[in-house]
Amino acid sequence: MSRAAGATTGDPDAAGPTAPAPRVPAPPPSGPGGESAAAEPSRTAADSGWDQVERRARASQSFWTAVVGVPTIFSVLRLGVEAGGELQTTLLLVANVGPINLLAGFLTTAARLLSTALVAVFALGAVLAAGVRAAPRRPLFARWIEVIPAWFVAASFLTALVTWPLLYLPLLVPAAAAAFQLRPEQLHERAVPRVLVVAAVFAGYLWLLVPTLRDAWQQGEALPIVLLVVPPLLALFVAGPLPGVVVRPLASLTQVAVLVVLVWAALPVISTPVLPLTVTTVGDGSDVTEDIRGHVVTTDDVNMVILQVRGGVRYVPVDQVRGQVLCPSEEELPRHQLRVRDFHVEDSLLEGLGRRVRPVHRIDAACRTAR
Amino acid sequence: MRVHTRGSRFRSIATTVAVVTTLLLAAAAGCDSQQEPELPSVQEKLRQSHIWGQSTLRVGVATNEPLMGEVRNGVRVGFDVEIARYIAASLGYEGDQRIEFVSVSTEDRIPALQGGLVDFVVSSFSITEERKKLVSFAGPYFVTTQEVMVPARHKDAIRTIEDLRDPKYKICTSGGSTSEAELEKHQIRTQVVKNVGDCVAGIRAGRYDAVSSDETILAGFLARYPTEFEIVDMPFGTSELLGVGVPIGDPALRDLVAYFLDKSYQQGRMGQASPWQTAYNRTLGPWLRAEKRQPQPLDVPRLVDFDDKAPRR
Repeated sequence: MSRAAGATTGDPDAAGPTAPAPRVPAPPPSGPGGESAAAEPSRTAADSGWDQVERRARASQSFWTAVVGVPTIFSVLRLGVEAGGELQTTLLLVANVGPINLLAGFLTTAARLLSTALVAVFALGAVLAAGVRAAPRRPLFARWIEVIPAWFVAASFLTALVTWPLLYLPLLVPAAAAAFQLRPEQLHERAVPRVLVVAAVFAGYLWLLVPTLRDAWQQGEALPIVLLVVPPLLALFVAGPLPGVVVRPLASLTQVAVLVVLVWAALPVISTPVLPLTVTTVGDGSDVTEDIRGHVVTTDDVNMVILQVRGGVRYVPVDQVRGQVLCPSEEELPRHQLRVRDFHVEDSLLEGLGRRVRPVHRIDAACRTAR
Repeated sequence: MRVHTRGSRFRSIATTVAVVTTLLLAAAAGCDSQQEPELPSVQEKLRQSHIWGQSTLRVGVATNEPLMGEVRNGVRVGFDVEIARYIAASLGYEGDQRIEFVSVSTEDRIPALQGGLVDFVVSSFSITEERKKLVSFAGPYFVTTQEVMVPARHKDAIRTIEDLRDPKYKICTSGGSTSEAELEKHQIRTQVVKNVGDCVAGIRAGRYDAVSSDETILAGFLARYPTEFEIVDMPFGTSELLGVGVPIGDPALRDLVAYFLDKSYQQGRMGQASPWQTAYNRTLGPWLRAEKRQPQPLDVPRLVDFDDKAPRR
């Protein structure tokens, strides 16, 4: 196995790093002579070709099952978590949160996680595929990358581009270089212009980041500096075949790692509420009012149904509702005090642009004190 | 050929290193994204403070200090009152139905805080080292000077600190104030009363001849009786830093008040309409001789809040 991989990786230029993988079964042997001797290899080749087609079909099936199935399962799981584990409350939510709302709500909060998972799979798949091009049994991600249409890969990267926080966005550069196997050699055939282009692009990138890097340095934040500066440099080397000895362990390790990270990162997503957080002020006509912090499940002519943050469902008569405000949740608090040209580093491009459209963000007093 | 192989090997190693480093950085980014903010948040501080869970906020203000804190037609008005309203709203207590204004005289401010009668005091409360041993301060939110106000009948006779030492004049001030200590330092004999308003009433009744207090308080009385008094600029040489008094046992509340005063200060610096500027323009602004700006609050904690990601420009 490793010999086969080593044979391809030994001389990448000779093997042609961007050459397409063999996708058609080997042709049957020609000539009538040597019936019994030739029939055996012919059957083996046909079997192996059929085997490859079968494998590709299975890889395609498993991939699309994962892409469609994971969000669906997560959406349903979220309702249970949102309801605080109570069966009746879950059923109340199921009855009132439509499937479209549920899926849209899920995509809003999980687009980042989904695009991260897909980008990771595509980048790793392409890196592994480049290393084991002629191997009979390839890693799962390498098989996936061959069956995924290019538009889907591009769409995943575009989603990541607009949903990832700016701080982590530089990681998309090596990921894209890996997924599309982009090498600096493709910029120009001669070394000097190539170096000049790369240096100019990197200098422009650093110029954009200088104030941010200075702030990070003053705040003693090493990780943001590394995350902003290093990934674009890695993109120069990340494409290309890996040595055979690395491919197998890396394949197994990363497949498990992606799964573990997906589960780990999915937990906060599952517990992210489906409905917006509000504080409803309720009064019965006297001066005494009560603030209820919770998610409004539904409102009809008689009652407003509120799923309280501290647990339990409240049916509030509509004529007792004095006011209602939308509140931010504490999960939205920033961890870093850094900005890239006035865009907060923890905002995605979409969020940053959105804040420019509606720049004033006032926290209503009721959001501070209501429990 | 050998060079070519060596180049390929280098390339292969570089790719391995790049792939592994990218994966490590991705893992570091993943861990970073799951971490709690290093800095405490406003909500955390709020939960630590003694006001957490209270339905209303009790704020100590003056009742008889025109322009700073007074009751007009049953409504609390004045610069201090406006600042108190801003702080209360920032803490989650918006509207007068959520704020319980408690009238405190000059000398009652510290006992009211110590005794838990009020949650904080905004009442021309000068920050001094002596007072810092008894209560905490957030601010300053205003810098003023000590002045003397004389009735029209003495406006030519009392012009200097020396004139104040003349035993024939009775100089009045409020008890427990920094003005009292400052006059004492200049060997000026004083008649100490509960509030500056009592001094003004006493002068109008002919019992006293001059009153010394903060410029802001005196400006208020001058606004109330513009033809009867005049403020005389005397070189007492000290500036009074007015701060918000907070119980000494509640550093979280002090931090929150300082944070919100600083928020207003930063808004003003960026040329936006700050709550401080609005309060100033509505109350003191037209009556002070020189225009004032919000001073930079001291010892402001770094806190995280929900609007930290909003654009600054």
